[in-house]
Amino acid sequence: MKKKKALWGLLVALMLLSVWSISGCSPQEAPTQVASGEPIVVAIPTALGSIEGRDGVRAIEMAVEEINAAGGVNLAGEQRPFEVVTIDTREHEAGIPIHDALAALERIILTEEPHAILFGAFRSEVLLASMDVIAEHKIPYIVTTAMTPEMQTKIAENYDEYKYIFRMCLNAPYLVMYLNQMMGYLETEFGFNKAFIVAQDVLWAKGTGGGVEAWLNNNNWEVVGFDVYPTGAGDFSSSLTKARQGGAQVIVPIFDMPQSGVLVKQARDMEVPALLAGFISPAAPENAWDVFEGELDGLINFIFEIGPLPAEAVPMSIEFNKKFGEKFGESARASLAGHAPGPSYDSVYVLKEAIERAGSLDGDAIVAALEETDTYGVIGRIRFDENHQVVYGMDPAETALGGAFQWREPGVRVPVFPEMIAEDDIELPPYM
Amino acid sequence: MIESMLVFGLVNSAVLMLLALGFSLTFGLSGVANFSHGGIYLFAGYLAYFLLKMGLPYFIAVVLTIFITALLGAAIYKLIVIRVRGIVLNEVIATFAIGICMLEFFRWLGFVTYEYSLPYIARGRFTIFETTLDYQRSLIIVVALLLAVFLWFFTHRTKTGLALLGMAQDEYTALAVGIDSDWAATYSFAIGGAFAAIAAVMILPLGIININIGYEVLLIALAVTVLGGLESTKGLILACIILGYAQVITSTFFAPHWKEAVYLAAILIVLAVKPSGLLGKFKELEERV
Repeated sequence: MKKKKALWGLLVALMLLSVWSISGCSPQEAPTQVASGEPIVVAIPTALGSIEGRDGVRAIEMAVEEINAAGGVNLAGEQRPFEVVTIDTREHEAGIPIHDALAALERIILTEEPHAILFGAFRSEVLLASMDVIAEHKIPYIVTTAMTPEMQTKIAENYDEYKYIFRMCLNAPYLVMYLNQMMGYLETEFGFNKAFIVAQDVLWAKGTGGGVEAWLNNNNWEVVGFDVYPTGAGDFSSSLTKARQGGAQVIVPIFDMPQSGVLVKQARDMEVPALLAGFISPAAPENAWDVFEGELDGLINFIFEIGPLPAEAVPMSIEFNKKFGEKFGESARASLAGHAPGPSYDSVYVLKEAIERAGSLDGDAIVAALEETDTYGVIGRIRFDENHQVVYGMDPAETALGGAFQWREPGVRVPVFPEMIAEDDIELPPYM
Repeated sequence: MIESMLVFGLVNSAVLMLLALGFSLTFGLSGVANFSHGGIYLFAGYLAYFLLKMGLPYFIAVVLTIFITALLGAAIYKLIVIRVRGIVLNEVIATFAIGICMLEFFRWLGFVTYEYSLPYIARGRFTIFETTLDYQRSLIIVVALLLAVFLWFFTHRTKTGLALLGMAQDEYTALAVGIDSDWAATYSFAIGGAFAAIAAVMILPLGIININIGYEVLLIALAVTVLGGLESTKGLILACIILGYAQVITSTFFAPHWKEAVYLAAILIVLAVKPSGLLGKFKELEERV
């Protein structure tokens, strides 16, 4: 009887644990609080189970710890610490409806009454839907993952309502800009003029693919095909066959799902003689070479924002990697996501400076101060444009920076694009 | 294009077969739809990963993974499902809850990074009909066929298998001739677990191990089982071939975007036209009546 009870207890405990991790709000006290006074509450409602979510939250916690250890935020003469609270929206998982993510956002706003929201929506679809919630509560919101340019369009169309929303990560048009410039380089350097695009069936990836396709068509490239895969797809043989038969010299993958790793391995398995150049999230971290058993040779992968890829041209990115490794361990540093950690870390400092400039926790005052931001971080120079998007470009002294590296034997990531951070020229892999 | 479609259609069919065999076997022999199949599959993947990480030789790690996962399958029945046996709705809820708990437990443990992967059994490629095929996918085809043959032989030519089949056909009659119902169900859960582990060590090396895969496996297993017929090995093979090729054809001639819809369409069509499945017999009489 006792055994029976114990087993049922174990089952119930497991289920409760699961439910808690599914929808649980898990406030995390900021570690060291040198500063006194009421904390400034920063909420993070996002997909905590995603690698970008996990690393982004870690980067934010690291910045919060540094700021608190240095005395906190100077709010009109009073030193106030940051406090971080999180809630898991699970929006990166297939089948999670947008309204579930919105419910989580509402919940953390109502229960924790945050002064600002960082990291924000993981998916563009959720970001767009969240904008009305934010407008209603008038809380400064700095997003560092979702990439749709529709956010800027909405701000441009209705500034007064949506002015609380800012974005520090790369957006899809900037990614298209980087990809297009690199395609131009490949054309000039190697004479390539045939490409195949494969993208994930999510807003940002399809938008990016469409942007690249339009540019290629306008620049005398032949787009052999443009296939879109649902999140979770694990077989890319039909696209790879079409790419090979169409004579594509470059395959442009645009994915943030773990299963996209299959594409890299399958391309090698099918001996497709094309250069993969785009974004495959599982191939971005430093430890990916071992995970893929060396099958990444030649792959050109983008790091959306400098930070996880230490670049000599951006000294703070090297410092960021060092500190992250010391705090969370080398293994955590080696698995840093290629999107979100850099701007997430910087977003805390940008918020701190804005609050200090505003001298108030009033949403409108912080927004006005955020608009004046002009500072340097691990992603380069940080300035917002009129629609609250951080400006990205090619020179970290002037703008924030994204970049690309090429995987090379014996498993190193060589920065190759843009020129400011390139440590070597792009090389064609042995299978081409 | 056609050659490639034929080859990868076959690979796709074999992958589906491996994913569905364990679920179908447990369902066919015990009458319990084990909705924790996806969780068990992923458990096997992570277990193999950690055993290999510990430095165990590949063969030993794989055998241990299959054995431990079989034990897990048996434990799920003996500890939980046995208490709700016979109440179909409760069986579904219990197994589904176990599966969700397992998957979310992995998430809670932090298995969300991209570092979890299993090695290929054999590296290398060969060309068939002008299509390059790697050894791993070739092995998947071979293992899927071997398991299907084993399953048919086991359930039709061994006393244990016949006892399990008898239990599945009519539990009361089987009990009357001395077959223990709980023993049979435990056995089928254990074999189902072992099959899930074999599928994991064969298929997961193609990409990386990710928690969401567990949910997809369940949908695949369900679609294949419904399409083929609950207890029919031949039906299972036929369903895998139909779904496998339908997906590749959809992906090649229409758009990859639509191929996931093939599963759902298959379930709907079969449930509407022939609820017992393509080669299922158990409910055929009821349908006629």
